[in-house]
Amino acid sequence: MNMTKPAVEARQLVKRYGEITAVVGVDLTIQPNSIYALLGPNGAGKTTTISMLTTLIQPTEGSATIAGYDVVKQADQVRRQIGVTFQETVLDDALTGRQVMTYHGRLYGMSKAQRQTKTDELLALVELDDAADRAVRTYSGGMKRRLELARGLMTDPKVLFLDEPTLGLDPQNRAKIWDYIQDLKRRNGLTLLLTTHYMDEAQQLADCVGIIDGGRIIAEGAPRNLIDQMGSDAITVSGYGNRDGFLSRIDELPFVQSVTTAETITQLAVDSGNRRLAEVVTLANQSDFTIEDISVAKPSLADVFLKYTGRELRDH
Amino acid sequence: MNAAITLWNKQMSKLSGEETFGLLIQPILWVVLFGVGMKGIMGSAVAGGEDYIAFMAPGIVALSALGGAIAGGSVWLDERMRGIVKEYLVAPIPRLSILLGNTLTIVTKSLFQAIVIFIVGVLMGAQLASNPIGWIGGIVLVAGYSLGFAGIALAVASKVEDSGAYHALIFLLNLPLLFLSNALYPLSSLPQWMQIGARLNPTTYVVDGIRQMVLQNGDMLAGGDMIPLWQCFAAITLFAIAGMWFAYTAFRSAVR
Repeated sequence: MNMTKPAVEARQLVKRYGEITAVVGVDLTIQPNSIYALLGPNGAGKTTTISMLTTLIQPTEGSATIAGYDVVKQADQVRRQIGVTFQETVLDDALTGRQVMTYHGRLYGMSKAQRQTKTDELLALVELDDAADRAVRTYSGGMKRRLELARGLMTDPKVLFLDEPTLGLDPQNRAKIWDYIQDLKRRNGLTLLLTTHYMDEAQQLADCVGIIDGGRIIAEGAPRNLIDQMGSDAITVSGYGNRDGFLSRIDELPFVQSVTTAETITQLAVDSGNRRLAEVVTLANQSDFTIEDISVAKPSLADVFLKYTGRELRDH
Repeated sequence: MNAAITLWNKQMSKLSGEETFGLLIQPILWVVLFGVGMKGIMGSAVAGGEDYIAFMAPGIVALSALGGAIAGGSVWLDERMRGIVKEYLVAPIPRLSILLGNTLTIVTKSLFQAIVIFIVGVLMGAQLASNPIGWIGGIVLVAGYSLGFAGIALAVASKVEDSGAYHALIFLLNLPLLFLSNALYPLSSLPQWMQIGARLNPTTYVVDGIRQMVLQNGDMLAGGDMIPLWQCFAAITLFAIAGMWFAYTAFRSAVR
């Protein structure tokens, strides 16, 4: 038995808004000093789950603890343990970057000396030291995101929640944010819970990924393990004609480990993609199924998502 | 309390050059343009003769306090709509300190404006009472009046879901509060029904109290039928408490 308390623990969290159930029953255990990614499409319940864990809203049912503190009964202690960045940018445009940091520190009762040290250190970390004394309204989207990340770290949180930290950022800024996130875990022993609908983000960053859809976690594990379930190669086929006939025959082939169908595409987990491609094409021809597009790839989290939900997770 | 002061400090530090200019220029324009313009016709109607600028200055203080409360409410609405309030809500601070910080900001700006108005009024020829205790009494009344309307504005801003609804509701209040009072004309010159309306309007009490305490010959300015000072203080105290209570309940349901 590991005696250290989980950084985050949720038991059957439910959130209902009238008739609508946004979160159906989320169980979550996040070990200290790890990065956990909640991966799912928009509306899957990611933000609602984070809002409950960060004490913004109260769960309808179930319970959750952060570093051992209950998010409802000990909300104030929880708030002292966490840093949060929200999905939308919530910065006061009229303030300078330095003021944003300072007022945040003051809200948490940090001393002036602490605030100064921390502000300098963090603004340097996110490479905003040159822009520190400019009004936030002059910042680019990427700079604002980095400032929010720095603000979330201002109070030395044990657990940092990042809701879609790279939403709307260009690739260069995304890569930067990823670097900071990985760096933080190494340096500070921080636990991070982030939500994303970017597959590559979850795959790159997370020690553990929870795939969330329809308000519940439908698969969970290390990205590598989740992907390994998918066979060693994935063949993705789309086309028209007698798809059902094609599917029934392909299922019988010994090298096909699993078949996943979504609206228009079919995905086959196979032992070796390049070698099997020709056989798949032949079989399609024999079944009067015309292939428009076929590709072989190493499976990714996108394929895991497809397998569990029968839907593609599109990057918006 | 620390959190309320931090939020107050943050709001005050955001005062840009333009906004400060606006805070100054609006009441100054009222006093200078409206005051001077009306002086000619109103002078004879106001007890005490020519001194219409002094007569109307307290009304402009009230009007500015009302405007300040409306502006403060829309700042809070904006913070709610844009999600800035979430930064406060995940912080280990009492929920009430958020309301308190907003209220303090509104009252501070109103007091600042009140002082500017009286400085301009004095430059334009109004004479202040010689007893500074009266000045402090006037400041207390303005603070109470401002608290009351800050409460109403913040309550409405806690409830509505867009700024259109907020401004519609607030502007409904604006004009009657100014015109259905003794701010621009003596109470005794009004028809009976307007006198009753004015008696129910907190503006009347803050204006009458300031006239009596802050201005030279204030009792004459207030007209023959001035309201006893204790009534002014009682009315404004009740109004301030009611406004804050209103804000407190609306705020609690908005942020939990």
